[in-house]
Amino acid sequence: MKIIKQRNILTAAISALLLFGSCDVTDQSPVTLVPEEEAFADAGKVLGNILGVYDAAQRGFYLGAPDRGYPFGAASIQQGDMRSGDMYNDQLFYEITYIGGWTPSTANQEGMWIGTYRLINRINVVLEGLQTALANGVIDQEEHDSYRAEMLFLRAFSHWQLVTDFARPYADNPSGNLGVPYRDIPISNTERLDQAADVGRGTVEEVYTRILQDLDEAEQLGTEAGIPFRASRSAAIAFKTRVKLHQLDWAGVLEEAAKLTNFELAATPMAPFDSPDGNPESIFSLNNTAESNPGVNGALPAMYGNPALGGRGLVKISPLIWNEPFWLEEDLRRTELTTSSPDGYYTGKYTGYINRDDPAPLIRYAEVVLNTAEAHARLGDEATALTLLNSVRDRSTPEGTPSYDAGALPDGVIQGIWNEKRVEFLAEGLWWYDIHRLSGMGELPGIPPKAASRSISSIEQYEPGASITLDHSVPYSSHLFVWPIPLQEIVNNPLLAGQQNPGY
Amino acid sequence: MKKSLLGFVLAVFTVCSVAAQSRTVSGTVTSAEEPEGVPGVNVRVKGTTVGTITDIDGSYSIEVPEDGNTLVFSFVGFLTQEIGIGNQSTIDVLLEPDVKTLGEVVVVGYGTQERRELTGSVSSIDNRAIENLVTPSFDQQLAGRAPGVNVTTPGGVLGQAPVIRIRGVNSITSDANPLIVIDGVPVVNADRAANFPSNPLAQINPADIESFEVLKDGSATAIFGSRAANGVILITTKKGIEGRAQVDYNVSVGWNEEVDRFDLLNGDQFVTIANEKRSNAGLGDLAQPGVNTDWQDYIFRKGLVTQHNLSIRGGSADTKYFFSLGYTDQEGYIRANELTRYSLRANVDHNVSNRVRIGTNMSFSFTEIESLNNGENSLSGATYNVTRAFPNIEIKDPSNTFYDGFNTTPDGAALGRGPNLGNIDNNIPNIGFVLANNVFRGRTARLLGNVFGEWDIFPDLTFRTQFGGDMTFADEFLSWDARHGDGRGNAGLMLQAYRPVYRWNQQNTLNYQAILGESHNLNVTVGAEFQYTNQHFYSATGTQIADVFFQQSNIVTGSAGVQQIGGGMDEQGFDSYFARVNYSFDGRYLLSASVRNDGISALPVDNRRGTFVGGSVGWRISDEGFFNSALISDFKVRASYAEVGNTEIGFFPYVGGFSAALSGLGPGIGFNQIANPNLQWETSRKLNAGLDFTVGNVTVAADYFRNDIRDLVLERITASSFGVPQNRIFENVGAMVNQGVELRVMAGIIERDNFSWNTDFNFTWLHNEVTNLISPITTTFNRTEVGGPIAQLYGYEWFGVNSANGNPIYVKGDGSLVQYNLEQDNTGWRAYNENNPGDISQTATGLGGGDLRILGNTLPRWQGGWTNQFVIGNFDAEIFFRYSGGNYIMNETRRGQLGMGFSNNNAEILSRWTESGQVTDVPKLYTGQDANIWAAGAANSRFVEKGDFLRIQNIVLGYRIPADWLDQTFNGGIRSVRIFGQVQNPLIFTNYTGVDPELNTFPGSQLQFGVDWNSAPIIRTWSFGLNVGF
Repeated sequence: MKIIKQRNILTAAISALLLFGSCDVTDQSPVTLVPEEEAFADAGKVLGNILGVYDAAQRGFYLGAPDRGYPFGAASIQQGDMRSGDMYNDQLFYEITYIGGWTPSTANQEGMWIGTYRLINRINVVLEGLQTALANGVIDQEEHDSYRAEMLFLRAFSHWQLVTDFARPYADNPSGNLGVPYRDIPISNTERLDQAADVGRGTVEEVYTRILQDLDEAEQLGTEAGIPFRASRSAAIAFKTRVKLHQLDWAGVLEEAAKLTNFELAATPMAPFDSPDGNPESIFSLNNTAESNPGVNGALPAMYGNPALGGRGLVKISPLIWNEPFWLEEDLRRTELTTSSPDGYYTGKYTGYINRDDPAPLIRYAEVVLNTAEAHARLGDEATALTLLNSVRDRSTPEGTPSYDAGALPDGVIQGIWNEKRVEFLAEGLWWYDIHRLSGMGELPGIPPKAASRSISSIEQYEPGASITLDHSVPYSSHLFVWPIPLQEIVNNPLLAGQQNPGY
Repeated sequence: MKKSLLGFVLAVFTVCSVAAQSRTVSGTVTSAEEPEGVPGVNVRVKGTTVGTITDIDGSYSIEVPEDGNTLVFSFVGFLTQEIGIGNQSTIDVLLEPDVKTLGEVVVVGYGTQERRELTGSVSSIDNRAIENLVTPSFDQQLAGRAPGVNVTTPGGVLGQAPVIRIRGVNSITSDANPLIVIDGVPVVNADRAANFPSNPLAQINPADIESFEVLKDGSATAIFGSRAANGVILITTKKGIEGRAQVDYNVSVGWNEEVDRFDLLNGDQFVTIANEKRSNAGLGDLAQPGVNTDWQDYIFRKGLVTQHNLSIRGGSADTKYFFSLGYTDQEGYIRANELTRYSLRANVDHNVSNRVRIGTNMSFSFTEIESLNNGENSLSGATYNVTRAFPNIEIKDPSNTFYDGFNTTPDGAALGRGPNLGNIDNNIPNIGFVLANNVFRGRTARLLGNVFGEWDIFPDLTFRTQFGGDMTFADEFLSWDARHGDGRGNAGLMLQAYRPVYRWNQQNTLNYQAILGESHNLNVTVGAEFQYTNQHFYSATGTQIADVFFQQSNIVTGSAGVQQIGGGMDEQGFDSYFARVNYSFDGRYLLSASVRNDGISALPVDNRRGTFVGGSVGWRISDEGFFNSALISDFKVRASYAEVGNTEIGFFPYVGGFSAALSGLGPGIGFNQIANPNLQWETSRKLNAGLDFTVGNVTVAADYFRNDIRDLVLERITASSFGVPQNRIFENVGAMVNQGVELRVMAGIIERDNFSWNTDFNFTWLHNEVTNLISPITTTFNRTEVGGPIAQLYGYEWFGVNSANGNPIYVKGDGSLVQYNLEQDNTGWRAYNENNPGDISQTATGLGGGDLRILGNTLPRWQGGWTNQFVIGNFDAEIFFRYSGGNYIMNETRRGQLGMGFSNNNAEILSRWTESGQVTDVPKLYTGQDANIWAAGAANSRFVEKGDFLRIQNIVLGYRIPADWLDQTFNGGIRSVRIFGQVQNPLIFTNYTGVDPELNTFPGSQLQFGVDWNSAPIIRTWSFGLNVGF
């Protein structure tokens, strides 16, 4: 009897143990992550994903955190300027790129690599999600195609950036030199990790073929965006003039340029910067806002801005380009688009020193004009080339300044076009791409000597005839001419470990 | 409650009697606290195995053999008494409390156990040596106190949490901190400040703690199941005692100072060096002679510390209480750094009836930290900045009133130039202005405690329920002045964030304790536990502040031109069902076994539950009949094996999903975590073998352990070109083994009436090896690969300086030597020919991935501590040593201070190469060539140094005012007075050239260890105080 009673109490006690607890505590799910299954479940989320791709383009990874405008929110421009040397480095931030000190473990190079591939994977995830959304009737065919075109343009644009940073130019043995892995499957689960590990660098030519495929499809499916901040059909066409220029496909450049009828040069060189969201010239830019931008350690206005106006002034205009005779004293791009302090001259293209909301200009019609000019010149039509070159230059020179004629360009029309590109796109990072291309063609020796890093501390050093110490040239033959595949890739990707650029 | 548990546990002490020619002695054992009789007291006939224990009313009866002439009465917490039997047949004993035997009863998970009966590995640390120290948090004082417990303080900013590792690093990318349980409640040990360090354990008043038990092996920790992978620290706070209320008041005052400083160039030396960097590169001078300023003099100070603790403890037979109030205010030695804590505790135990008890342990604290930016690479980071600022300019410029009289450039973009012709490298700001105006403030309220009830269903069956809570309410405020420094680029920045954490924890246990037959002692615990944790935050950031006026103390409505919000939430749930059996036969054969089934929300549903088992055995050889040693009074061997899991794997590592992404076109969503539906428990298999013995006055505990960790939940790094979010996936991919030997020796070397010397020495040897990984994990300075310990230093091998031309020389992966040619417009890598050092004609490939190699292990291989306590009459003294070694440190601080930019350097740079033939290890100076000269981006063997040290951790001197004098003077109003002086961190012996070999820049990451990169020097504290008992 007593034993039975004890048993009952024991049973009751054990039951109490369990009763006291709440049993569902382990059933939790995150509130900050939209589950994969729902990510394309309605039209709002589909659009959200498109914007998420622009976010990745604008603010990618740098040293493990989204920061500093990698790859295209600022960094592609800064890295380009630092390599070309028309912008001068005054601080540690960009020193490695400026002096050619990169190694497989330097952060800027890794930032471009990681940030761009992160963007590419987001694109591929969205491309797959768009198909799901179409199949489920969440979006219609028209919406799907328009979105798809945007994504394909960005995928091509991203791979082209990588292939110019990390591979030899197309002009030099494209079917032999290694390209970069062209990623077109979304790596969104563990099986796909294995699949991706089998994709090697391919050749430069193969990468260009894939880039053009994506751009052609983007052109076919694409629509006009109305603002430069979304990739449009025109952006795909305009970008093809650059890609084909690099392929030395001069006729192709002209063919693409001919399709581009809805853009023109703005009346002044200031317009693309004064009203970046509404001018006839800006074809593709990435928007930055006060709330979403590359930050105080990356944004163009912060890094390039005149300290006297609130910028940080880490990068100035190089005294070398400042004193080039082809950049006239009264050129509007000098009088209106630069500023000065006792320390030197700064670009005035980005003026949101505090809000940091200047868009990053990536394709302007002026580039298409100059690309087309070069293609004409290459094909022997120097007259058209000169006309086009003058159309860009004359809007910046004061009234009464004569347009170029052949006699005014003793080094040739093509040299004149390059000079114009350097002035027109100063602080937009574009000249590096031409150095890359032209060095591969044997027309430039490589990265030219620059004003020595941190040597310019006074505006007096911009006086004509001031002594400028030169340094940091990289001949095309040097292994340094192309960046190394970053160490994080090499140690985690056995296939690419065997495909490092020679010399690293 | 405690008393009855003790009684139960000690009931195990049954020793059977042997029939012989004998007589019976009986009596009652009482104590001041329990005049009605103390149950469970061990009564033994000296020199025999004959013994018994007292009944519930304290009475006993024992058959004494013919040759028996002395009875020994022993009970935990009381002095052992030996009483001659003579011809008495009744012996009544009044037990006297023994203050020295605290720790004899060991708190283990969900109960207590007598140390004699322990078969697991548990180290006890008495808080008495710690509670008078002036310290931001108790945890850093555990360093060196027990074997197998490694605690290092990573830097000298108040609020920095120490790194605690028990028996090595037991996880690679998951949390490696031990579980900390305070009065039975597993506490949240998460730093809730985002912009400066704020150690959560600094919110607990060290003076409230009675003792620590560190559970180290699998058997001891198994009862905590999946939370025990990294060991467990059980903390017991002070409880009430029966009797007249005792009031204790302790006060200390003193100061903090830096243990050491950086040896930097003075202004004149700087001018020479800075200009030489430039002239070697063909550039003109920028530096001009000026003053000689020591910036360290300005930012370092003697930081005042004060500490007050007041406690009242007392109680009746049925109700006991402990109340305390604590206040401490500690100024760091860096201007602006300060920690203030107010704390309150109420512990009450009450017997509702003979069979029902209730109680509570509650604490509340409010902690305020004024911190600073000490980012290793931040332009406003105190250490970074102070070691780079121009030493040839004045800190202040009284005419520069807009910048509060600090020396800045006229536009405020950088530190003033002084006589120099250019701005300082990277436009670093004036650190004086930054420390005076930027605010990094944390205010944290924390409520931590439990309520419990116990019911003796039967005398030997007790049900206990406990509800614990740990609620942290953290408010963070950041203000960067609009005029100068980090705030300038934002025209002022303010951030305010609320980052609370809530946890509740519910435990219900049934404990059955019985003596079966005469010799079988059984103690069975079954239970269930449920726990829920929620951490969330919201933040408001404003930039473009209307006026500096609004930047003082709180964000202000309407003051910010650009306003942004942030926020997020994570939840974790945990439930568990467990059972444990402790069995002992005759006190000689000991057995313990436990099983636990845990569920955790961080794993996918199908893999959510895990079962973990553990067991241990012990054999007290000294209780065997054949063991007859006059020398060795106690000898026990023990062994254990257990499997435990690891719950500290993040919140939702397995979930794939898309997070919010704010683009320049508006808010969107972006793929942000790759799924792994196959993620499962990471498990450790822990093996331990040990022995405990006592020889005379010397007690020794020795252990060998091995911890096999498998299926590590690893943040596997994916190839960058896959573009996987964060370049990682959580997978069960790794395996690692820790093994080691521990030794603790405690001895009362001298025990005389007016002089005693007690010593407590410990030693740990540790070996860590990663045994499986998919691919090596490489970070900037470290590499973790199979076959070596975690986080070895990984970098380039320095060869030396070319005496012919001053070029730095490195060793390539293939063994060839390359030099970086430092010649204007002819820079670049060249082959180095030892037979023709001047030859720079052969271009060479620079340093790259193939040239990286392992440069040294970063985990100490041996470590320990040694305490000596002396009492001489009314004086007492303690000297505490700590030692560690067998590890290497990457002195990145030193590399940075040998930079080639236009800023100050370490004085080491004075030995730079200047002329052909000069043999030195500092290359020719060359502006801007830091990356090539010092092989940036990875560790560099030139800066890899041994980390061995011996430190005098503490010296304490005290004097107790004679009791009779107090009695006469205060008529009994004052019970005791002790005055003391102490110094923490007075002295270190080491060959490490940095300021301290324990500095650690990445304390939160197991993969980046052994890097000293602009950490602030650690703190030396001098203090003087008074303990008064009323």
